[in-house]
Amino acid sequence: MEIIISDEVKAGIEGKALKVDEIKALINGAEASKDKITNGSKFLAKKKLGDVTVYADYSEEGGALKVNSVYAHKMILQDIVMDTADTEWTYVKTGAKIRKGHTNLSFMGATRSAPSLVDPASGESWLEEYLAAKTIAVAEMLFSQKRA
Amino acid sequence: MAEILGETSALCPVCLRTIKASKIAEDDKVFIVKECPDHGSWKVQIWSGTEHYKYLYEFAAVQKPPQKFFVKEKKECPQDCGLCNEHKQQTCLNVVEVTNLCNLNCPICFATANGCGYRYHPTIDEIKKMFQTILDHVKSPRVVQLSGGEPTVRDDLPEIIKAAKDMGIEHIEVNTNALRISEDMDYLKALADAGMDSFYFQFDGTDDKIYEQTRGRPMFDVKKKAIENCGIVGVGVTLVVTVSPNINLDHVGKIIEFAALNVPTVKGVHFQPITYFGRYPKEPEDKDRVTLPDLAKEIERQTMGMLKADNFLPTSCSNVHCDMKSLSIVMDDGSLFPLTTMALGPPTKTDDIADKTRTEVSKFWRFIEDSMDGPSDAGDSSWRSFVSRAKTHYLTVSAMAFQDVWTGETERWERCCIHMVTPDGRLIPFCLFNCTATDGTTMYRRKAFCR
Repeated sequence: MEIIISDEVKAGIEGKALKVDEIKALINGAEASKDKITNGSKFLAKKKLGDVTVYADYSEEGGALKVNSVYAHKMILQDIVMDTADTEWTYVKTGAKIRKGHTNLSFMGATRSAPSLVDPASGESWLEEYLAAKTIAVAEMLFSQKRA
Repeated sequence: MAEILGETSALCPVCLRTIKASKIAEDDKVFIVKECPDHGSWKVQIWSGTEHYKYLYEFAAVQKPPQKFFVKEKKECPQDCGLCNEHKQQTCLNVVEVTNLCNLNCPICFATANGCGYRYHPTIDEIKKMFQTILDHVKSPRVVQLSGGEPTVRDDLPEIIKAAKDMGIEHIEVNTNALRISEDMDYLKALADAGMDSFYFQFDGTDDKIYEQTRGRPMFDVKKKAIENCGIVGVGVTLVVTVSPNINLDHVGKIIEFAALNVPTVKGVHFQPITYFGRYPKEPEDKDRVTLPDLAKEIERQTMGMLKADNFLPTSCSNVHCDMKSLSIVMDDGSLFPLTTMALGPPTKTDDIADKTRTEVSKFWRFIEDSMDGPSDAGDSSWRSFVSRAKTHYLTVSAMAFQDVWTGETERWERCCIHMVTPDGRLIPFCLFNCTATDGTTMYRRKAFCR
């Protein structure tokens, strides 16, 4: 299926030092393996590219896949700390209901939790964009500067 | 071989007349060299690191002259200061002395409090007149430091603060030895209620042996109690350290460590290398002084590199050789990580340095503020709580090299932005106001305050 990426999203991808082809490969891989979650109107897929976990938020529109946004974090997803409630999301690969929860994230020797979408059965976690682009980005920046 | 870095003018330490002076580089040190036809010659070290001294000129901002001048007919800088149309920088800090009385009798005191032979204790109306001078001469936002003597000997200090706020002064800080703040909560609350914004705490170390030399008595418990009280009332404190190579230069790391442990009440540490004006034990030699680069190196060494010399930048508000500043986040293990570094290089547009600095810092905090959007998180062990902490747990470590009658020079005086306000409506650079000749004659202080 064709993957459509607007200039604005492309600029965001390049601003994160990622390549458009890498994002297309991420989406094609998620489509093939069904390793993605959906809330009925869009999909969220992730892939580790080097040290970075990259997410593609995309929708099916008129026979093509339109990329809504791409975001990333350097923190490493670890164990699920807890899960509290069902969400509107489903894990396409298994059909399991995705739960709201908390996952440990480790970065430069420190481990702390952050809210996440979780699948307790597989142990998989996904960070939502608001968190990855803000709180986690600030924390990564602060820690990177400390170690610089 | 000596390299001449520039020509300037200075003061004769004996007669206070204006004399020619040169700045020269020798053995990787910068000296001011001057000669009075009647009283001899002087060569005094003012900097360490010739290339660093030269490089800092690239950080010089295009300064904005004051709005109005008290002195209309200039004779010879710095003999009739007030300010005049040759002054190159607006006021950023207005110092208003509200008394020359003090509840201590320190061996070192720039104001020679309790020993100058006259009493200066203006009425509230006279103080209001000085506030009016500020309102007439300095553009908003006006920052006023109430100083002395010891301002807290005045029971009416809350009324003075309220009067300043009512007149439209935006920010008031009180410069204090903290003695009364440590023991009189009602008074502290009254100051806060009157609108005082922050304290400038004289703080020479974390060891009473230091205070016995600098203040003539143990004071560390007093300082700790005063900081605790400020935490209860919610008033921020900057620790102001007079640094002497003979007394507490080997203690600067411990002071920063103490400050970091006391954020958020403590907002910063401000080091002031000892300056020889007012009351001091003896005429200084170079070994009795510490330059800003040497202080920065000591900070790096004593903090085990946590805060490096390269983390200090000139504010560029006054002369680039007058001050240096760093900003760090205090981590939950008490360590610092700096957000400022010389590696960023000089600002590309120096004419808006103050605005640029403010914008960058505010953007950074705004970024942190925005990062707290979204659903709430759980527990102190979360990344959210870590980021939240960064918003409040920060520390500035800064320093200012005041100039005395030996080290002072026109290039720096005319770029000064820290001004004393006098009862007769003048604004005079702080260092110049306090310059004292070898016989104790002051350049401006006595003339301004002794009536």
